[in-house]
Amino acid sequence: MTTYIVAGIVVGSVYAIATLGLVLTYTTSRIFNFAQGALAFFIAVTFYQATAVWGWNPHVAGVLTIFVFSPLLGLFLWAALFRRLSETPPSVRLVSTIGLSVALPALAAILFPDTASTVLKPSMLWSPPHEYTIVGVHVDSNQVAVVIAAVLIAFVLLVLLRATPYGLSVRAAVDSGTMAGANGVNTGFVTAVSWMIGTMLAGTAGVLLGALRGFTIIQFTLLLLGSFAAVVVARMHSLALAFAGSMGIGLLQELSASQQFQHFLQHFASPTNPILLGVRPSIPFIVMLVFLLVYNGLQEERFAIDTRMLARPMREVVARTDLPWWRRLLPIAVCLVGVLVAPEFLNGLWLAIFASGLALAIAFLSYVVVTGDGGMISLCQITFAGIAAALTAQFATHHNVPVLLAILIGAVVVVPIGMIAALPSLRLGSLYLALATLAFSQLVQNTYFQTPRISNFGQGVVVPRPGGFVGDRAFYYLLVVLFVVVALLVRNLERSTTGLNLAAMRSSETATATLGINIVWSKFVAFGLSAFIAGIGGGLYASYAGAANMNQFDALLGAVWLAVVVTWGVRSIMGALLAGLSFTIIPQLVTDHLSGRWLNLPTLLFGLGAIALAREPRGILFDSANRRRERRRRRDDRRSDAATGAGPIAEPMAAT
Amino acid sequence: MSDLALIEARDVTVRFGGLVALDHVSLAVAPANIVGLIGPNGAGKSTCFGVLSGLIRPREGTVRIDGVDVTRASPQARARRGLARTFQRLELFGELTVREHLVVAYRAKQRRTVLELARALPRDLLGLGNRPTPGERDVVDRILEQLGLTGVAAVSAGAIGLGTGRLVEVARALAAQPRVLLLDEPSSGLDARETDDLATVLARLRDEEGLALVLVEHNVAMVLGLADDVTVLDFGKEIAHGPASAIRADPAVQAAYLGTATT
Repeated sequence: MTTYIVAGIVVGSVYAIATLGLVLTYTTSRIFNFAQGALAFFIAVTFYQATAVWGWNPHVAGVLTIFVFSPLLGLFLWAALFRRLSETPPSVRLVSTIGLSVALPALAAILFPDTASTVLKPSMLWSPPHEYTIVGVHVDSNQVAVVIAAVLIAFVLLVLLRATPYGLSVRAAVDSGTMAGANGVNTGFVTAVSWMIGTMLAGTAGVLLGALRGFTIIQFTLLLLGSFAAVVVARMHSLALAFAGSMGIGLLQELSASQQFQHFLQHFASPTNPILLGVRPSIPFIVMLVFLLVYNGLQEERFAIDTRMLARPMREVVARTDLPWWRRLLPIAVCLVGVLVAPEFLNGLWLAIFASGLALAIAFLSYVVVTGDGGMISLCQITFAGIAAALTAQFATHHNVPVLLAILIGAVVVVPIGMIAALPSLRLGSLYLALATLAFSQLVQNTYFQTPRISNFGQGVVVPRPGGFVGDRAFYYLLVVLFVVVALLVRNLERSTTGLNLAAMRSSETATATLGINIVWSKFVAFGLSAFIAGIGGGLYASYAGAANMNQFDALLGAVWLAVVVTWGVRSIMGALLAGLSFTIIPQLVTDHLSGRWLNLPTLLFGLGAIALAREPRGILFDSANRRRERRRRRDDRRSDAATGAGPIAEPMAAT
Repeated sequence: MSDLALIEARDVTVRFGGLVALDHVSLAVAPANIVGLIGPNGAGKSTCFGVLSGLIRPREGTVRIDGVDVTRASPQARARRGLARTFQRLELFGELTVREHLVVAYRAKQRRTVLELARALPRDLLGLGNRPTPGERDVVDRILEQLGLTGVAAVSAGAIGLGTGRLVEVARALAAQPRVLLLDEPSSGLDARETDDLATVLARLRDEEGLALVLVEHNVAMVLGLADDVTVLDFGKEIAHGPASAIRADPAVQAAYLGTATT
């Protein structure tokens, strides 16, 4: 038992280091760094590269990565990204850092391709460690060092924030950045330093975790999720609670592996019960959900995190109505014709790539409803798709239900699940909703998706093609038709009263409520419908692939889904189509034309796309079209200035 | 008076931490009546609106609409009973046009119960029944006309100025066809002529449609000219209450507020 407690405190200490950094950057800049775990991973892999591949002395490499590389990386990210984010709405900030969390591990894999293939464990700590026995408890020097590091960091941060001029500036900037700025506090300096420290703490946690547990992405995922849960416990701002929460989660996680706990669980179910096996990896989420519920129940105190912004126009929209009707419909027509004639030019492999892209595009339409129209960041759309796919397989294979009907049933079943996932959005801000949906997603993945009935030893249960659409080409056309049908539903919704209410809610929930509009209903509709659409897409995806393989519905892949949709435009149906197609086409292009090292290039691109386009919900196409129009307008202005009095100038609009 | 009141707050107390934002404040508004609420910055005027509209729960005291206790009712439930409000800090729907603001408010009335909402959803998804009813068009057009917004009806709210935004707030609240309207500083950002026009519209709504109004204003001249009754708050306490003429003469009011005000 004591072994587990010691291990728990050690892991908790590592979590605490990362979490303290997260809290620090959040309180100084109001940006929740979703990429804290990814940063830890990136820095740890850099350390690994320096020692295991380049053969540096581990201690030198450790000091350099933690005290030189990490702060510089933090400074760079602040200058390039975070600095610009502080003026944007909460959802944009969130999506940007989600994009970063997608891009960083992919970048690490491209820069340091040897990392994954080696089993060397370089350690900047002692190896082998010295063993001690203190009051009957066995500890080693590494464990002691980690715990001391965590306590020291917490203490230093506390002193820094409470008793130094820097701390005073931080607290002033937190209360009101504008006022602090007006009173001579250099808020840029304050936030830059906090991002440097925050990244340094991520790096410290990363290197220590790597030294203790190895440099696999799994460990860092756990770190990420553990620190998210601790941040929820800390309500985003309390350093003390963040520390305590991290320790608690680390302890719970390790204790749940102890024999006593396993014995205790056996009172309820057999030791091989997958639900029980899922308890351990799910502990951060269980903690997170419990605390969200507890905080949710606190009546008077709402989370005052999202500094509300005046409704601000996105980028000024150059009127599109001045285009003739055929010009406005042209892109849609071109796309449709392209998709319809595509099978004529595609071989079997590429037809499959396009078809699975179409199935994903249907699932991606769910983001248009929940995030584009509803303005809520959901990280569990992929789980809705996964549950529906699993159910489709169950009904179709084990109960002989016709496949299309099975898909429909699966999609209908996830509607109430979607509504449950919407519950946190009723009381909590967008950030907590994102965290809660991620927690939900992980929970389902660790339990339900692991049951033998669903996972079928990692193969997934077979899903046949629908009768009459068994051929690749027939199924492809079925997908085209279904995409159009779902897209029309989404478009109708947007133009309806329900859609107007959603658009109103997106801008101001307060004003919407005082008009008597039922916000709970609006959110339920957005989440329920999006779950349904994701379910249809998931079922079709599984049916085309031939099996409902839950690896394709991994919770963290959901962040990549979101990133690719944001890149192409989360408020546009066309964006969902292009996102789906590019999600399958680009990786295939990379496989065909580039070496194995570049396999992660698409993910990197999607991550960077999300960072770049988080601000423009209509996506890259709109963004570029808008820039083009603005350029043209400026050019026309210049020309008409130059030619004043020379008569009207022909409008070159229709020509392009 | 309180028997006839459309909306009534009695002995309302609100605390934010150690700060007493409202200290046993009472307020009642009868149909076809305008009540002015004035006081220096931080007097608790906006908090009072928050309590009336259901965005802030009072520590003590009750709020009644038509004699029904709504102290714990949601903003939506109060809207259903005929309450509408505007915001001092604009709460516009940035991506909707000015006209759509009014349409959203008007249609909120048609879809009240979950049953109505559920019935409307399939039609919305199939693209049926989104055409405005003739009644809607009349009401929306009339309000746009009254507030001089017809010219910007098709403009997105993200692209209009502060003064126009103020008027859109008022127009949106009116489109909900309320019986009680709470206006939080409707004249700030408006020029003198626009303020006069707005006052005329408000007076006419009171006289012709029996609308009850509560007006929070910094523009004391406008309030004293328009209101039937005035309540003066200072540091969360009611320091005076009565007809506008009496308030003007009240020495406590002059000391706390009018004497130092320059607007």
